[in-house]
Amino acid sequence: MPDEEQVPDDWPQRLRGEDREQAIGELRAILLKGLSKSLNNRYGKPFSAEDIVQDALLKILDSLDQFQGRSKFTTWAMTVATRIGISSLRRKFNQDTSLEAFANDDGSRIDVAVSSDDLSLEDAEQRDVMLSKLQSLIDNELSDKQRKAIRAFLSGFSTDTIADRMNMNRNAVYKLIHDARAKLKAGFERDGIIAADVQAIFA
Amino acid sequence: MKLNAQQIADLIDLTAGTTQDAIGCDGCYELLDQFAQAELDGIPIPESLKVVHDHLVQCKCCRDEYSALLTGLRELEG
Repeated sequence: MPDEEQVPDDWPQRLRGEDREQAIGELRAILLKGLSKSLNNRYGKPFSAEDIVQDALLKILDSLDQFQGRSKFTTWAMTVATRIGISSLRRKFNQDTSLEAFANDDGSRIDVAVSSDDLSLEDAEQRDVMLSKLQSLIDNELSDKQRKAIRAFLSGFSTDTIADRMNMNRNAVYKLIHDARAKLKAGFERDGIIAADVQAIFA
Repeated sequence: MKLNAQQIADLIDLTAGTTQDAIGCDGCYELLDQFAQAELDGIPIPESLKVVHDHLVQCKCCRDEYSALLTGLRELEG
């Protein structure tokens, strides 16, 4: 009995060869079925799977050389199509995001002071020392841009939304926030404080 | 902006979970089809793809995208 996994993944050849139109039609149907399910009701927005599939097909056909056979072709194609679909939906979603909700009138300041009611902690003094250190690191180690991104991220904005608002791309925003986190972690460690210990206090 | 207790805890969690060898969103995307294939095939995630798992834990955008991808792929599997 033939093993389905052993069937050669000949999509790239078909999409480049004489069978191209037939293969494109089959791939279009596959993407339409997958995206109709995966993107349905995401963000609560209506969407046209057909439009997304059309954009995805163009991208896939233009990127065939990037398929290295490390997954099934349809898995790779769905990965490309999902990125296009999600990005499209997020752009629509972001258009409805209040600018006021993102931009506050206190610049990029982050204040970590909390009232004693906010945290239940037996050793309040230890907590206050940690908060003071965290505040100092935020004020002195992070750039304005990093503080702004951290603020937005902790307020629940997606990396995509932050990227749109800050005229950056998603990867750059992730790196900006990652580098900020690394600075905070290094700052704690310079004082002999393990971040995991701080984590335990505020868990 | 004054952080509430949950936001402070989130920031501390993010800080504690920071690693030097972390990949970004672009790096995650480059490996996402392999990662999804391993999960669909039910095989253990290879060591080389652990960075994808770590990124997905940290990045909500990529996690949402991966969730949608798996939903679509499972629909195709029937």
